[in-house]
Amino acid sequence: MTAARLSGPSVSAWTLPFFALLAIGALALAVFIGVVDIPPSQVVAALTGHGPATARSIIMDIRLPRVVTGILAGIHFAVAGLLLQAITRNPLADPSIMGVSQGATLAVAAFLLFAVYIHDPGSNTLAVLPTEWLPAVGMLGGLIAGGVIYALAFRRNLGPLRITICGIAVGAVLHALAIGLIAGWGSERIEILLQWLSGSLYARSWEHVVFLLPFTVAGLAVLPLLRRPLELLRFDAPIARSFGLSYRLQFSLALALSCCLAASAVGVVGPIVFVGLIVPHLARFFAGRRSSAVLPLTIVLGALVVTLCDLVGRLAGQAEEIPIGVVTAICGVPVLIALLRKVP
Amino acid sequence: MTAGTAVGKGREAARSAAMTIVLVVVAASVIACGLLVGARPLSPHALLPALFWPDGKIDSILVWTLRLPRSLAAWVGGAGLGVSGYLLQTLTRNPLAGPGLAGVTYGAVAPIVACFVFLPWLPSVYYPLVGTAGGFAAALVTFWISHGGTGRPLHLALGGISVSLFLGAVVTYVLILSGPQTTSLLFWLSGGFQGRSWVQLEYMSVWVGVGALGALASHRVLGLLALSEDAAAGMGLQLTLWKPLLLLFSVLPVAGIVSVAGPVAFVGLAAPHIARLIKPDGPGWTIAITATLGGLMVATADIVARSIAAPRELPVGIITALIGGPVFIYLVQRSNFTSTMGVER
Repeated sequence: MTAARLSGPSVSAWTLPFFALLAIGALALAVFIGVVDIPPSQVVAALTGHGPATARSIIMDIRLPRVVTGILAGIHFAVAGLLLQAITRNPLADPSIMGVSQGATLAVAAFLLFAVYIHDPGSNTLAVLPTEWLPAVGMLGGLIAGGVIYALAFRRNLGPLRITICGIAVGAVLHALAIGLIAGWGSERIEILLQWLSGSLYARSWEHVVFLLPFTVAGLAVLPLLRRPLELLRFDAPIARSFGLSYRLQFSLALALSCCLAASAVGVVGPIVFVGLIVPHLARFFAGRRSSAVLPLTIVLGALVVTLCDLVGRLAGQAEEIPIGVVTAICGVPVLIALLRKVP
Repeated sequence: MTAGTAVGKGREAARSAAMTIVLVVVAASVIACGLLVGARPLSPHALLPALFWPDGKIDSILVWTLRLPRSLAAWVGGAGLGVSGYLLQTLTRNPLAGPGLAGVTYGAVAPIVACFVFLPWLPSVYYPLVGTAGGFAAALVTFWISHGGTGRPLHLALGGISVSLFLGAVVTYVLILSGPQTTSLLFWLSGGFQGRSWVQLEYMSVWVGVGALGALASHRVLGLLALSEDAAAGMGLQLTLWKPLLLLFSVLPVAGIVSVAGPVAFVGLAAPHIARLIKPDGPGWTIAITATLGGLMVATADIVARSIAAPRELPVGIITALIGGPVFIYLVQRSNFTSTMGVER
């Protein structure tokens, strides 16, 4: 994996604080700027609990929870991607190789289909879809898919290649089932699913934050414990064992952690491929040779990318928002390409 | 080399050749059986005259302009995707690489989807040209990012995947804008050979043929590259010449196939892995088995897709994954492969 690292030319101790400041700045920007123009003085007033009621409700009930949800989801995806890339030793790994995205998509599609047709069959009225259940359903689907892949790979030896290959196959089957469902569905209410599929932070509220926060806290608390195992999991199983690593246990732990992080985030905001796949590479690039900085940078960059891109999507689309998944890819890819071109 | 290993070598090659022939024969018989089924089933009695003495009646039209070219197109498409996937997996040294990795798939899909939504007056006969042009444009960008693929394998993989992600996001956005056409677009995005006939078959065959023959001709180079790039360079291989060339061979078939049949998922990714599980004798035979296996997968899936819910059609990409996925998992479970493919280290 050492050869696989993109090592940037600039190695500076200031990288991490710089990006952390940038993330905080982006957070502030995302709270202060929005489709509805609210003067900064009113925003500050609303944040401290004063000011007019409309401004307060826009800031406290719409913008702030949305931004916080985005930050948490960004951290989840980025860390999950980093963990998976480390343990599968594959730079192209992302939460979808554990079937998380596809399992969640299938679960959400099946759930919505069920809801649309069972709720009020044959009527033209728009039923209120039970969207408040989507995070739990999506997460469950993602976790089940991850569990199936783990069980399939576990039956022999739990090698990185085997789990990658099982992941490809199970993921493809689940994805096919989901597309089959969608194609057989017809056009009724399909836009909700499409929005979810491309990742959206639209109308995310404090409930979503409450849903995500326990996973974020638990995940970040466990990460320091996984630090040494992660360094060792880069090697083949016999070598890692010779360093005293209980390979199977630590491999499974890292896998379970990344699955939980990714599945909870997918449930809330939908799959955002770019963050899970590319942000760890960006972090490695900026960290250069200081490998200890990769993890914190991944966390900070995950939050930064999602916050900034959500802001762009909100402002550029005006009334019709551009989904966060689309914006992250369209804005993030040029950055990545520029970095790739710089590295010889 | 002793006589014993030479004999062993010959036996290995004979086994691989037999495997290839078996795969071709199975595919031919599947296609032949596929001629019988469909929205209007044919009896074997009716098939033979319609096949060998076409008389312009409904049965022979069914066979000669609908079912046969379509199945052949599916076979050629699958073969091309398999070869392309194999080349990209070898070049990037990554088991997650597929035919779409160089950005060609989405490069072909994005302009076609955009034409479908924004330029509805454009006749669909131009879609293959639009798609091929788009695929090559995207591949050029990937070439540019990865310095023609001469840099590290990771560079090519990341460059290609970022181009794919970018264009995929554009496609998603167009889908959201498209409103009522979304479902038919989603259907097309799962790939299919509905209504494809001789014209499309010829169009595809050229691209696939050049790519596959090129890959076969450079099988020695691929064998060296599979060891490691340093080893290949040490053996006197000109990496700056061969890597861009092999990348081109991997791009050609996909640009032809995707613009005709849409992105058929899973085959290009899985066929090389399954072929490696068979343990063929050298890269040349791996390419042959990958191609015939990919062809068999897609031809079978296409027949299932058009006959299981006839007269409705299912997207062929769904069937390839639904049939191929479990088979793949079974094979992976059964074999104890540890390093059939060098993982990027």
